[in-house]
Amino acid sequence: MKRQNLRTLVLILCTLTYLIVGAAIFDALESKKETSQSKDLRARKEDLRHRFNLSTSDFEKLENVVLLLKPHKAGLQWNFAGSFYFAITVITTIGYGHAAPSTDGGKVFCMLYALLGIPLTLVMFQSLGERINTFVRYLLHHLKKCLGMRRTEVSMVNMVIVGLVSCMTTLCAGALAFSHFEGWTFFQAYYYCFITLTTIGFGDYVALQKGEALQEKQGYVVFCFIYILMGLGVIGAFLNLVVLRFMTMNSEDEKRDAEQRALLAHKGQTGSSITCTVDPASPSSTGCSGGNAACGNSGGAASRGLRNVYAEVLHFQSMCSCLWYKSREKLQYSIPMIIPHDLSTSDTYMEQGESFSNPLYSNGCVCSLQHYSGISSVSTGLHSINTYRRLNKRRSSI
Amino acid sequence: MKKQNVRTLSLILCMFSYLLVGAAVFDALESETESARRRILEQKRNEMRKKYRFSEDDYREIERVVLQAEPHRAGRQWKFAGSFYFAITVITTIGYGHAAPGTDAGKVFCMFYAVLGIPLTLVMFQSLGERMNTFVHFLLHKVKQCLGCRRTEVSMENMVLVGLLSCVGTLCVGAAAFSHFEGWSFFHAYYYCFITLTTIGFGDFVALQKKEDLQEKTPYVAFSFMYILVGLTVIGAFLNLVVLRFLTMNTEDERRDAQERASLKRDRGNQCREHYCEETCFAQTNQHQSGISFCACPNKLFFFHVMLLVFCLHVSLSALHAKRECISTGTRANWRLCPKVLSLYFQQEGF
Repeated sequence: MKRQNLRTLVLILCTLTYLIVGAAIFDALESKKETSQSKDLRARKEDLRHRFNLSTSDFEKLENVVLLLKPHKAGLQWNFAGSFYFAITVITTIGYGHAAPSTDGGKVFCMLYALLGIPLTLVMFQSLGERINTFVRYLLHHLKKCLGMRRTEVSMVNMVIVGLVSCMTTLCAGALAFSHFEGWTFFQAYYYCFITLTTIGFGDYVALQKGEALQEKQGYVVFCFIYILMGLGVIGAFLNLVVLRFMTMNSEDEKRDAEQRALLAHKGQTGSSITCTVDPASPSSTGCSGGNAACGNSGGAASRGLRNVYAEVLHFQSMCSCLWYKSREKLQYSIPMIIPHDLSTSDTYMEQGESFSNPLYSNGCVCSLQHYSGISSVSTGLHSINTYRRLNKRRSSI
Repeated sequence: MKKQNVRTLSLILCMFSYLLVGAAVFDALESETESARRRILEQKRNEMRKKYRFSEDDYREIERVVLQAEPHRAGRQWKFAGSFYFAITVITTIGYGHAAPGTDAGKVFCMFYAVLGIPLTLVMFQSLGERMNTFVHFLLHKVKQCLGCRRTEVSMENMVLVGLLSCVGTLCVGAAAFSHFEGWSFFHAYYYCFITLTTIGFGDFVALQKKEDLQEKTPYVAFSFMYILVGLTVIGAFLNLVVLRFLTMNTEDERRDAQERASLKRDRGNQCREHYCEETCFAQTNQHQSGISFCACPNKLFFFHVMLLVFCLHVSLSALHAKRECISTGTRANWRLCPKVLSLYFQQEGF
């Protein structure tokens, strides 16, 4: 079966299993308490009903009024500060539900607002997260240099550790603050921060709901908003570091397959056998020169001018050479976790080399396939810009 | 300024402007109704207190018991079906809150469960979404061939159109189903499906909460779970098609910069210098291709976003000012609606 299909099926099975196991455990943990609490509360309600001599229907009416007044207990929810809080819960998809639009106009606007706001927020947090990661990488690199360590490259393990530590710190800082301002225990405040920053947002604990905080404690209100947005940035940075590459895996594999198919089609068309020299000692330009000739021939057939094709080939040659040298460096190191300082994608080529059964890779000539696909794409008349972009996208795969 | 930094700063500014505008509009839409409704409810409460002769403490006690009993009104929430429903709301980050762990052990397990479950679910939906997109791509290609179209390649516009149609279709199907089973209006059911499938999950509308539905109507329970998971896949497929490429933009640019630096370092010859110009040329046209052209003048773009923020602030402040004026001069345009809306509302709640 195709690798992407297998991966998808495995993920689906994993998720379903995870749900079933989770359901069983939650059942075991919560059912008993729920039953006892339910019985207890029913008894207390009956007791109150008898104490005040209310009929069942009267008591139900009273219950309804109390429940309807619940969102109003926490003060005005829809003044500017409250609406800003609500807007944050919409576009970050936290969605506490402590305040929800009651008018139909509000509901319609809420849906339209979410439609544009959620992708904007997703892209913003990933963008910011990537910047944070780059900055942290730079800091760690300089820290390693200052400490006089032998290898100053920042590895993935370093980054993941720093990411985890910063997430924990963010949660603990928030827990301290909210336990102080809201009067919750540290554990409850930590649980609140966690549920908020993972954007689950149950709404069982919601900040800014005590003592007219939205109206009166402006400083605390501003702190809450900043905490939520910055906390989401930190979590977003960690997700960008660890999870994002897995989300693009299937797309990357599809592109790689498409390029392989195009390459095979091209080979079938021209009948030329472009081989790559395997000798590691020779400069890579010999490895690519054969391809250059083929490109020169097919350059006329390309939709773009010959000059662009020539420039592209030169570019590929230099890419080839530097990536080739990088892959040689990696082989010499033979320590899998270290990633070179400038985080170029030679590590991805190492992993590609492991996973591909393509004989070209087993020779260690990692640049050749990429180069061929570039030529084949050019010769099949595809836009050269798309080629460049697609190649770049391919390089970012794991 | 570096391209990635400009992009990030612009996005941050965009988001802030968006939040400000949203806050102003929600304020304008909801504040009046909120105050009016609160007034009427408090009036009703005071009437009842006088009628049954409650003291302040009595009322507080009743209120406390009723609020605590609220989650139990919808039946057992933590049997297997209910727990499965809860587990779904955790790992998809919908998080209605209709049921939330009461025990401390439940809260701790919930946190660990989310830590592993959320990334798993994200990756699963993106993976499945990509498979769906590929399949739709293949189908469209075959359809175009069958219809004898001149160009049988499937363009991005085709895919986006099909994606949008399938999202709207999913929402409408869900709305029809839930309005029938839950007794909501079509609009409320549509709103519920939208809020669920975008994983916002307010919890103002929650399915499977009518008395003992979770225990008794097993096919409906299965349908609800399937709907949520399949609906999230359809939305995930659309996000995979449209949004995912933007999530990796900064990372791609960093890699490209790193490669440029590396190639400059290695090939210090004329060859390198010659085609570096080509590279930057390619890079700039490349950005244009990808739909967001930041190459032209990054600082101009930043300035534009500052102006946008200022404009949004202006809009929000004038909306607030208009509202305040409206109240002070007594011209409450939507007071006309208020009594009618509230009387309907009370009818609904069985007064």
